[in-house]
Amino acid sequence: MKEPVAIIGVGRTRFGEHYELDPEDLIDEAGLMALDSAGLERKDLDACYISDYLLQVTNKIGLEEGFISQLLEMNIPIEKMRSFSSALMNACNAIEAGRYDIVLVGGMEKMTDRWSKIRDNLMLLVDHWSYYAGGTPESIHELLLREYIKEYNIRGDDRQKLMEVLAKISVKNHRNAVFNEYAHFRREIDVKRVFAAREEERRLLGLYDFAPISDGATAIILASLKKAKEYANDAVYIISSSMATDYISYPSRPYRTGFIASKIAMENALKMAKISLHDIKLLEVYDQSTVLEMISLEDLGFVKKGEAWAKLYESFENFSGFYYLDGKQIFVNTNGGLKADGNPLGATGGAQIFEVVKQLKGEAGQRQIKSDGDLTYGCVQEIEGFGTKVYVHILGREKGGK
Amino acid sequence: MGSEPIERRVAYIGDRLKGSKCPFCGKEYFRTRKYCGDCGRKSLGKMIDIDFFYEKGVLETCTVVREPTNRFTRFGAYVYGIISFHNGRVRVPGRLTDMIIGSDKSVDLDSLEGREVVPRFRRRHSVDKSDIIPTISLAFTFADEYYPYQPYEIVKPSKEYDAPGIVGYGVYVSKFRIREGAMERSVPFIDEDAITAAVEAGKIALIHSGVDHKLIGKVYVGSESNPYAVNPIASKVAQVLKLGEEEKAEGVQGIDAVDTEFACKAATSMFKDAMALVCYPKDPMDYAMVIGADNAQAAPRGEPGGELDFFVGFGGAAFIFGMKDVIAEVEGWYSCTSDTPDFWRRDLEPYPRHGGRFTGEPAYFKHIIKAGRKLMEKLNLKPSDIDYFVCHQPNPAFPARAAATLGFKPEQYMPGLQVSKFGNTYSGSSPIGLAAILDQAEPHKRIMIVSYGSGAGSDAYLFITTEQIKEKRSRQKFTVKYQAENKFIEYVDYATYRKFKEGL
Repeated sequence: MKEPVAIIGVGRTRFGEHYELDPEDLIDEAGLMALDSAGLERKDLDACYISDYLLQVTNKIGLEEGFISQLLEMNIPIEKMRSFSSALMNACNAIEAGRYDIVLVGGMEKMTDRWSKIRDNLMLLVDHWSYYAGGTPESIHELLLREYIKEYNIRGDDRQKLMEVLAKISVKNHRNAVFNEYAHFRREIDVKRVFAAREEERRLLGLYDFAPISDGATAIILASLKKAKEYANDAVYIISSSMATDYISYPSRPYRTGFIASKIAMENALKMAKISLHDIKLLEVYDQSTVLEMISLEDLGFVKKGEAWAKLYESFENFSGFYYLDGKQIFVNTNGGLKADGNPLGATGGAQIFEVVKQLKGEAGQRQIKSDGDLTYGCVQEIEGFGTKVYVHILGREKGGK
Repeated sequence: MGSEPIERRVAYIGDRLKGSKCPFCGKEYFRTRKYCGDCGRKSLGKMIDIDFFYEKGVLETCTVVREPTNRFTRFGAYVYGIISFHNGRVRVPGRLTDMIIGSDKSVDLDSLEGREVVPRFRRRHSVDKSDIIPTISLAFTFADEYYPYQPYEIVKPSKEYDAPGIVGYGVYVSKFRIREGAMERSVPFIDEDAITAAVEAGKIALIHSGVDHKLIGKVYVGSESNPYAVNPIASKVAQVLKLGEEEKAEGVQGIDAVDTEFACKAATSMFKDAMALVCYPKDPMDYAMVIGADNAQAAPRGEPGGELDFFVGFGGAAFIFGMKDVIAEVEGWYSCTSDTPDFWRRDLEPYPRHGGRFTGEPAYFKHIIKAGRKLMEKLNLKPSDIDYFVCHQPNPAFPARAAATLGFKPEQYMPGLQVSKFGNTYSGSSPIGLAAILDQAEPHKRIMIVSYGSGAGSDAYLFITTEQIKEKRSRQKFTVKYQAENKFIEYVDYATYRKFKEGL
């Protein structure tokens, strides 16, 4: 990046089911919290970038910009994107370009308002031809897992270990969420339960392998470097903001044992941040399923392709909150991930940023990680669709490497 | 719900699995494209049209969907996966069809992956009763099971005949059956209907005949179970099978396509029309196709019209008529008609009614016997001059009695008697019997077919097989016998039969 962008405030709602709240109530709550934590007034905002995937479908409302304008009672530029990371990237671009100094980035989603039909909408969004062929939001993750099993010829005991690793990812994320007061699920589960759900449903992956359908909102306040000094002494900086795309149709992609967009986005992000992969000890990945947490570690480069299941299996043998990959500690989804923190699509990326900011600033309370050496950088991966768009943001206590 | 333009576009690509191929590097795509991503500008406008409709693919990876999205819930559990064509040059998502997976049944995915599959033309998913019926060919079955893989190769005709006749045929009967007593009846899978059966039968007829699909000038589809009250089956058949010359810019086929209706003789009635068109002196068509397909409907047992529920079947037969490479030349025809309403269905009623005793003597027998006798008189033939006899088969007893009354012996009429295998396939009934005879007849054999349609009328035809009947047989893997005595047939109980027949 030409110049890092500072995060000077963060806010979020609890994720879960909010029967009583409209989407604008949720974003209001998250936005106020973010403004509050930054010590800003509404009038300080130069612009807003907001995100949601499906409000037009779930709540039959559009023109979210107008809702935000009315809440703020301001006429500033406001644009709507789909994912939080997309809004964040566009906000960073504008700040880097010198157009704005203070920007609110917010995301919201109200998926439970369309509980009975949401899976059809999600699958159509992922790829309509796959939908027409009978695909479901869950089955595509199972296909990825089958591709992986086939590509790396994982059989017999190894297959069992792989399935155990996936179960333990879910268990780990549920445990992490216990200390996250905003999480959708704040209860521990055990490996037996993950397996029992798979067996009961007679599916490859079961209830506890998938992120839930949630409502929620998140917001952060960004500032240009020169403005950040006026408001915050202990800002966290966005030192890279990168994304890549891939074909809408998963079957037609040449690379199907992971997401090539993840790999490209991460490589570019590291270059942009001028740091090495090993400088990152904290990682929020988009674990829509347990498979995606495992696969993402490979795609992002933390472990070689085809080896994550074995390396994670070793890590889980004496697990104390982090994976041990390539001789390095890596803390993944310390907020419980999408699995337990929740997954209100448009807001999810904001919760990932929220978590990394809190951890980097040492404000994560009971779930604060204790890494060997300084915790300087954190990384957030957000995915739109099924690997169709992947965003990587690297956050740092410092303004980037040399 | 539902968008007509979206349905048109999805069906246009998805029913046929259309794609494109780069003429320079050979890269292939599912869905048509104007240029190749690798070769760029030089390929613009030069891409070759391809499709995967007659191809064999491989199920590369799969999983079981047990909790489908809303529009797929009537399928229950199914296998969903990635299918590759042409050694992985193209990959598409696909659903395996014709599989019943109980909620308590586990599926060994390892045993399915890597197996060859063929695309099947089916209904896509459920929609509201008033919506357009969505279809797609991203449904597959294993190539080594019930529905075999057969390549479609266009064969240049070698011989011209003086009289028109049958140049090829195809019979399609589903893999599922219900067995009650000595009778077996074909049951559609939940995603099948008269439309899908008509397409499948037509596809097999094209494969068997080796006729160039572009040279077919007219297609008739006879059915009494079109799931639409208004909207032809024939237009779907023409588009999916690409009958007639395609005008690509507009996406239209240069063919006349029409549905016909006259209970169980809706198809046979058009045989003569098709044969007339191919020998019309001024502007003859090369070929004309006639399809009879039905998902014969019946009220549940115990309700009015429920007596039909013991006999209804599912399936279709397609015949291609022409003057070249004929396998059975027509000798003559005779039809008779009277206002005899012995079986009917009023508009908006789901099931037909039935005239009970009245369907026998004054209806079925009177017309069949009249038409059969008149045609023999007309051509000055005796039953002993005829090698095979086949007539409409609403149940096992009626056709045997009609044949005997006309003076035919069991060895003449048994080869065509298929009702105890498939049930009454209505418009497909006597045509399937005719196909069963053509499957086995030697050259220079005389075949008489007499259909019957309630309402009422009969069409009688006499055909004589030619030398060429034998040479085309290697292209007919899906014979009537193969479908009747197949080890992959799956028997279902009464409840499943009713559910499948209701469809999506």
